[in-house]
Amino acid sequence: MRSIIKKTLICAGLMAAAISTSSQAGKTLDAVLADKMLVVGTNSDYRPNAFLGDRNELEGFDIDVSREVAKRLGVDVKFVTPGWEVMTAGRWQGRWHMVVGSMTPTTKRAEVLDFPATYYFIPAGVAVHKNSSAKSIADLNGKVFGVVSTSTYHRYLEHNLKIDAVGTPPFEYQIKPQEIRLYGDINEFDDLSLGEGVRLDAVIQSVSVINQAVSKGLPVKMLGDPVFYEPLAIAIDKGDAEFGKKVHAIIEDMKSDGTLVGLSRKWHGVDYVTVK
Amino acid sequence: MKTSIFTTSFQRGKPRLKAALVFGAIAFVIAFAAAVNTGIVGELLRPAMSEAVLVGLWGRFAVALVVGILCFGGCYGLLGLPHRVQSWSVWAGLALSALLLFYSFDLSYEFIERKLPFLLTQGAFTTIYVSAISIVLAFTFAMLGATAKLSGIAILEGVGAFYTSYFRGVPLLVQLFLIYLGLPQIGLVIDPVPAAIAALSLVYGAYMTEIFRSGIQSIPRGQWEAADALGLQRMVTFKKVILPQAMRVIVPPTGNQFISMLKDSSLVSVVGVWDIMFIARTQGRADFKILEMLITASIIYWLLSVVLEMVQHRIEAHYSKSVTR
Repeated sequence: MRSIIKKTLICAGLMAAAISTSSQAGKTLDAVLADKMLVVGTNSDYRPNAFLGDRNELEGFDIDVSREVAKRLGVDVKFVTPGWEVMTAGRWQGRWHMVVGSMTPTTKRAEVLDFPATYYFIPAGVAVHKNSSAKSIADLNGKVFGVVSTSTYHRYLEHNLKIDAVGTPPFEYQIKPQEIRLYGDINEFDDLSLGEGVRLDAVIQSVSVINQAVSKGLPVKMLGDPVFYEPLAIAIDKGDAEFGKKVHAIIEDMKSDGTLVGLSRKWHGVDYVTVK
Repeated sequence: MKTSIFTTSFQRGKPRLKAALVFGAIAFVIAFAAAVNTGIVGELLRPAMSEAVLVGLWGRFAVALVVGILCFGGCYGLLGLPHRVQSWSVWAGLALSALLLFYSFDLSYEFIERKLPFLLTQGAFTTIYVSAISIVLAFTFAMLGATAKLSGIAILEGVGAFYTSYFRGVPLLVQLFLIYLGLPQIGLVIDPVPAAIAALSLVYGAYMTEIFRSGIQSIPRGQWEAADALGLQRMVTFKKVILPQAMRVIVPPTGNQFISMLKDSSLVSVVGVWDIMFIARTQGRADFKILEMLITASIIYWLLSVVLEMVQHRIEAHYSKSVTR
């Protein structure tokens, strides 16, 4: 308890100091280099990008990318899992330095966060029950969809998806759902598995998650072609352009020397890094 | 002699028969209303009657009757057992049925077995230490709160009244988010675990303040006056006369609060504390096997609260010495 109080007091002091010097660039970078520790916020249940593996440690594409970034910064890496809504809300107060959580740089999110580097693109697809009567995506108009709350899939179904990143392929809204059910703690695939129309008719998720669900034996399948491609970027808190530049340079290096493609092949089975 | 609603224990003779008949009749009514003839129980009676008879009204009546008679027989047998054996075997029977229900879900035990060690070493460990620290702090807050509310000093009474009103009146989850996300706005950046402990202990401390206050006030004024007459100081009276008697009233609802807190500690998983619930959800979601993990988590929580129940029972017995014959 003592040390907690002490820590809080020190934190409060640091905060006060930070507020007074917040006009100076580079405070996140300075903190990372001073502590020799990069704290990365990420997901804990997002196969194959960041999940608790059989060794009960976080593993996946996002985790390997973070490790590589830390290695090239010459520091150690530590992961925290604060929850999606907390990470996307910004104002992290130095609790973690960046989020490598397969986050799409939407215009709304860019108001509270900076996205210095896009590290891969992923197709979003429509999944239905394997006995579904739908033959094409057009058959799903007026049906019930399940998506993760505040995700890009949610925005897509609301016809309100704006992505800022350079090189994002254009897309059109192909679906008019009758109802959108939002998911957070419960997995939308569990509800889809109950059968066509029991709770859900379809789910929109990244193609790699859909493939994972299929390979784990869930009675679901992907329908048609991907509905849109979204860029996934590393997010940092507002106000440290220097740190952003550094992260950007590292990711560009990882792209050009083939490290990122290698990691994508390892975890997604295909190259999601190179824009097609 | 124990205090109970009925003076007979229904263990022999006519009362035993009557009690068994009542239980049998209740089982019959429930079985009839729930139409068990269409379920698994009906399947068991398939050899005795044809499919058509079974699904009809007669089949429904017959199946319900069989259930009623079985329940009557079972209860009659049970009632003959000694009191303790009786209640324990019923407890064990119900627990077994709950486990059988889980068993019927067709779960992947290989998956549970693979994930269980981490669920215990990381998840249960975190839940236990978060709850334990919160319990100690909540107890302290409650003691302080109740003392303040009963102090007779208006300033302290105001503080106590505000504390219980605010922290009882705001949902624990909101409180947790306020502490975790709100405090950093004024420069206090605290980690998830201290935030969780603060929220749990403040909220439960507020509930328990009221339990302590009402427990202390339940001791008749005559006790205070008698102590005054003996020349005892008020603080001594409080510690040596009032509190030991009040504890008897305070302990059962406090035990309730502790069990409740143990389970509510699962809320802390939303700020990323790796407790039982967090691990269960994370592992379950990642492998699309959420039900397996939820049921495992439910059993771990249950076992933990059984331990708390036993502790509560011990403490209760200690403070009830004065009223046992």
